[in-house]
Parts: sequence; structure tokens; C-alpha cells
Amino acid sequence: MPTFKLDGQEIAFEKGETIIKAAYKQGIEIPHYCWHPGLSVAANCRMCLVEIEPAANQRPMMLDILVWDEKKKDYVVAKKPKLQPACQMQASEGMVVKSETSEHVALARKNVQEFLLLNHPVDCPICDQSGECKLQDYYMTEQATSKRMRDEPNHKPKGVVFGPTIVYDAERCIACTRCVRVCEEVIGDPMLDMRERGNLYEIITSPGRQLEGHYTMMTEWVCPVGALTTSHWRHKGRVWLLKGTQSVCPGCATGCNMWVDVDGRENTAFRNRPRENEAVNQYWMCDDGMLTYERVYKNRVTTAKVDGEREKTADAIDEAAKLLRGGNVAVVLSAQRSVEENMVAVALAKAANADLYLTGKAVWDGDKILRNEDQNPNRAGALKAAGVESLPSVADLVKKASGYGVILVLGEDADTQDLSELKSKKVIVLATHETSGAWLSVANVVIPITVWAETDGTFVNAKGIAQVFKRALTPRGEVIPGWEAIAKIARSAGHDTGYTKLAEVRAAAAAKGIEAAPLKKQDGVVPSTGTPRSTV
Amino acid sequence: MAAGTIVIKKPRRTAADQSYVVELVKGLGVTFKHLFKGLNQMRPGGQRPDVTKMNYDEGVATLEYPEEKRPYARRWRGVHRLTLRPNGDVRCTACLMCSTACPAQCIWIKPAEFPVGHPSRGHERFPEEFVIDELRCIFCGYCVEACPVDAIRMDTGLHMTALDDRGSFVYDKKKLMSQVSQDGDQLTANTRPEPGDASHGGITRLKGH
Repeated sequence: MPTFKLDGQEIAFEKGETIIKAAYKQGIEIPHYCWHPGLSVAANCRMCLVEIEPAANQRPMMLDILVWDEKKKDYVVAKKPKLQPACQMQASEGMVVKSETSEHVALARKNVQEFLLLNHPVDCPICDQSGECKLQDYYMTEQATSKRMRDEPNHKPKGVVFGPTIVYDAERCIACTRCVRVCEEVIGDPMLDMRERGNLYEIITSPGRQLEGHYTMMTEWVCPVGALTTSHWRHKGRVWLLKGTQSVCPGCATGCNMWVDVDGRENTAFRNRPRENEAVNQYWMCDDGMLTYERVYKNRVTTAKVDGEREKTADAIDEAAKLLRGGNVAVVLSAQRSVEENMVAVALAKAANADLYLTGKAVWDGDKILRNEDQNPNRAGALKAAGVESLPSVADLVKKASGYGVILVLGEDADTQDLSELKSKKVIVLATHETSGAWLSVANVVIPITVWAETDGTFVNAKGIAQVFKRALTPRGEVIPGWEAIAKIARSAGHDTGYTKLAEVRAAAAAKGIEAAPLKKQDGVVPSTGTPRSTV
Repeated sequence: MAAGTIVIKKPRRTAADQSYVVELVKGLGVTFKHLFKGLNQMRPGGQRPDVTKMNYDEGVATLEYPEEKRPYARRWRGVHRLTLRPNGDVRCTACLMCSTACPAQCIWIKPAEFPVGHPSRGHERFPEEFVIDELRCIFCGYCVEACPVDAIRMDTGLHMTALDDRGSFVYDKKKLMSQVSQDGDQLTANTRPEPGDASHGGITRLKGH
């Protein structure tokens, strides 16, 4: 692999790669605004200028400049090398690049930074980007001087509604056009454009359009400043109060990697952020995935019920075990639930000599960008846990209802809404939400279990990639992890699964070939540590 | 005897020590010395100048609290108040700096946004709810220092009085806005031009090139 030198460090690159991208892959950040690894190069912010030493046979490219001479009290003519944008300049073998070590680069960055802040309103206290803003970060590292302009800054429209999810503030905008490029290149629908020029620029929606569709929140996600804000997070809190947890989107079978940002003081999730993974979602997520945190507490089942009466979770587990001893058991696995929960359910089915079925949510509108048609994050994982290629659905179970006395269901989702055939059966439901499925209408015993954000777990996506997610929230109410609930029921019913710890379930899953790569320690975990919210 | 050992002689009590009479007289001597010294100071003019006592009748060293109260220094930190704009609205922009800075985590704010069409939309936001739990508050004054717009102050000169239920110690936005400073003032010192005022420049693009 060819290499070049950046500040004395050897950086490997692939042919055709730019300096900034090669450095980014090595974890070295060259200050930038408009460049994004997932977007085309615009080279309009001029923040990533670097000094490239001329090759041995090349004449240095020098520019005449005026420099203030303190002794002469006048400007004198001097020379400086022509700086190159690292985002556009392709790396070549043996190139010598200076970024942090060049005084010319430092001066250029300082001036670019001052220029970008010339008309900035500096309303950081009420700006939602504050704390993870590139303007703030580079002000501290590159500029750190006060404003010299004494004129009234330009005023532009503020709080402009672009669509159902995005609100735009033109005064904070630095016209990097990342959002415009996201619309064109990632979404494939040019909904945004720019009007005016010079310091009067503004981002606007295309005539007759508003910012809509399944990926609008990506425009906010790439915005390096506080110009674009989502209506969901806008004015809800401050980023430094949030703590990010590495998670996987439960919205569909793509399994996009993400951060769940939680305010620990209120034990509430406030937003999701995409987590970079070249193999799965690159840098992106869809709007529904970005909003999965909102579902956590909406219509949650928080207490156990036996025949409609509220019970303690432990009592409900005893009641469920009593029902299970009746025999003729059917166990319904769930493509919505994690591998660990399905593993324990499979072990219970084996011990109780029960038949397996598989349920999940209905198909939704997928697309060719990220959204998979299958709304269930773990269909492949549930099948792998059962060790089979396919499993019959709930509709099949209804047809064969006469053969069973007791049905244990993981999750309340059902692929068919008509479960009246099962009214006479004893049904145990391990439920999370009250509204999403039909199983609760026929349940004898309801046991509240955790959702993805409240427990550690693993999802296997449509491509067969197993991915772990971490617990972000403390469960509220009498909720217990699903695998634990099933293991407890099995133990008191005399069908011991042998699982008492999550690690044991994971080891058994690994033996079945479901092994996720361990999570990397990534920056951006806690925005309040001063790390930018993403590495880009 | 081992090397390095220090021998301390046990003190012996004399008859005078054992009877306590001499020590009693000595002790009374100290007491009376301070009594006369104090009496001397109570005479008008004989007292060292005390800024707070100078407000009271000459010679009085005792304050009949709570009927009488010392006037507090201007920077003394009392119960909070939220300052007002000239039009009576709350000055606070709900930036959450005070609740971030608060070491006791006693401030809870719910920010809200001005609706589309309002002149302040986008420029500022406001607290829909602003709650301070005065029982949790440690009166450190960090919230006042953190405030970028002079919206919260602790210059009311009021103690947190004893109340008979905990709920009364939780001050809401209305209560905080009704508090006045020691001078009876309610307005903020931060009077920036409000969006929509004539002094506030409109959108540059619309003014022509």
C-alpha cells in the first residue's frame, strides 16, 4: 500500500483517495466543515487547507503576501506557500503534507474560522448544537481570538420550518451544503438548494417542496453547526446532559448501528444518532429509526397481570409455571426480540417438548437505501436460535389450535389479528407494549419485559450479521429482562433451561454460530467530554 | 531502661491546687476582666466601628432577632427571583445553563419555542415551566453566575422561611417572577434590543443591496 507523510507520520492510502479521507481512516482529524466521508467533495469551507511540500523536481508554488513588520511599522512583501484543500487533493506516494506543524496552515485556519463567525449570531446558550458544534470546537483549537468586526452582523430568517421534522436557522448556517448534498446523493431527491451569494446565502427548500420523506433527519445529522435542528430534539435539553450508549436500531432487519442518548437524571432517551459502520449503514439512518427511542415509554406494559387482575411479577411467573405444567405447549418465538430471549425460549420449548412458532410485525415500506421490507430486527437471529431454516407463523398456530393447551408467547406482536380461536387456550404473553399486537386480547398471564434499550442483547440482521446492543435505560416499573422471565418460568415449571446468567445464554448462542463482534470503544460516546458528536 | 525513652515527671498537686480556691479566683479574674472590658466598649464612642451596628441606636450590642434584622450586604445570596423584561415577560431564555451549573440539581426548566410568526421566533426561547426546589438549594449562587442574560438573581434579601409542608418550598415560575430585589426592583439589567423592535435590524436580504 502506498503511503504519504502527514506531520511526519506515515499514512497508508488507496489509489485515488484524498488526503483527508486517508487521515480520517487512521483516526486523524484535519479540521473541516464541508467534507463528509459519505458525501461528494465540495471544497467550499476552506477549513482543511494543508501545506504540501513540493516534490524534488518541482518548483515551489509561492504567493506574494503582505506581512506587518513591527520594526518598520509598515507592511512588507513576503512569500508563503499556496495551501491546498486536503478534502480535494488526492494523496500520492511519498507526498509530504503539513497540517498541525505548519504556521501558514494555522494562520489560514484562524482566518477561515474568523470569517465563518463574522455574521454568526453567537447564540450558543439557546442553540441545540452547542456542546457538539464544530464552530465551537475549532474556535477553541484554531482561533481563540475575539471578534474584530464592530458592524451589525447580517440578519437572516430564523426558525424556518423546512418540513415536519426539520427547522432551519439561516444566521447560524455556514453554507457548507452538506444538507444539500445529502438530499441529492443519499436520499436521491433534491429537496434543498441555496439562494443568494456572498454573505447573504441561505438554504431553501426547492420551489413548491418541503423537506419530507424517510431520511430528512440526515440533513440535520450532517449539519456541522446549529443551522438545521430536528423538531424532536429542538429545545428539549442540552447535549452535555446526555450520555450515548452503543445500540442497534430495532426498527427493521437492516440493523443500523446507532447511539442512544440518555439523560441519566431523568432516565429518559432523548435522541438516536447513527453510528458509523461501513458494512451495515455507513453513516446513515432513516427517520423512523432515528425516532425509535420515542417508542420506549409509550403505552408500555409495566405491571404483570393474571386474568386481567394486577399481580406482582413473581406471582405471575408462578402462575405461568402452573399453567405450563398442564402440557401440550406451543412456544411462539419473536423476530422482534433479541437472540438471547429467543435462545432461552427455544431451551424451554425443548425441555417442555413444545412446538415452535415465529411471530413478528407486518411488512412495511422498504426502499433500496436502508429500510428493509421486514420490520423485524431479529428474524434471522430467532431462526438461528431455533436452529432451523423456517418456522410456522401464528396463522398456522391458529389453524392447529386444537392440539395445544398452553401457549407461551414472546412479545405481544402477532402476524394475524384474528386470535379468537385461541380464546379457550391458556396464553402466557411476555409483553412490552399495550397497543402493537393482538396477543394481549387473549392473554391469561401477562409478564412485563424489557425493550431493547433497557437490556443487553443481540440482533442478527437480514445480511446475517450479529450485532450487540448495550443497556441504555434503567427499566421502570416491575419490568424484567425477557430471557430472565422465561428462565424463571421454566425453572419453576420443572423444565429447567440451565440459564441463570446472560453470559451463559451468549455462550450457548455462540456455540450455535451467533457471535457478534465485541463493541469498539468509540469516541462520541459522551458528548459532554468535549468529543465532537461524530468523528466526521 | 531502654535507650531513647523520655521520662516525664508526674505533676504533683499542691494544697492550693487541691483546694481550687486560687484557681477559682484566677478564673473569676478573667471573667471580670472581660466584663469590664465589655462594659467599657458599650459606652458610646468606646466601641469599635461595626458597619452593620452603626445603623442602630448607639451602644446597643444585641439585636432583637427576628423583630430586628441586620441589613444584608448587596451581594448576600437570598431566595431567587426571575427578572422581567420592560414589558413584564420573563427575561429567561431557558438555556439551561443554571440547571447545568447547579451542584444541588434543584433547578428544573422546560424550554418552549415562540410560535411561527412571533418576532422572537428563532432568536430566543422561553421557559414554559421554571421550578426551583429551595429546600435542595445550597445558595451557592452558581446559577446567577452562569446566567448569560441576567435572568436569575439572588438579591431578594430573603431567607428561606420555615414552612409546614415541603411543597411550599418548591417555587414555580409565577412565584419566582413575583419576587422583588432589596431595592424593590424587578427588571433585568440586560436590556438588549428585542427582536421586532425598531432598533433591531430586519432581515438584510429584504433591505435591498
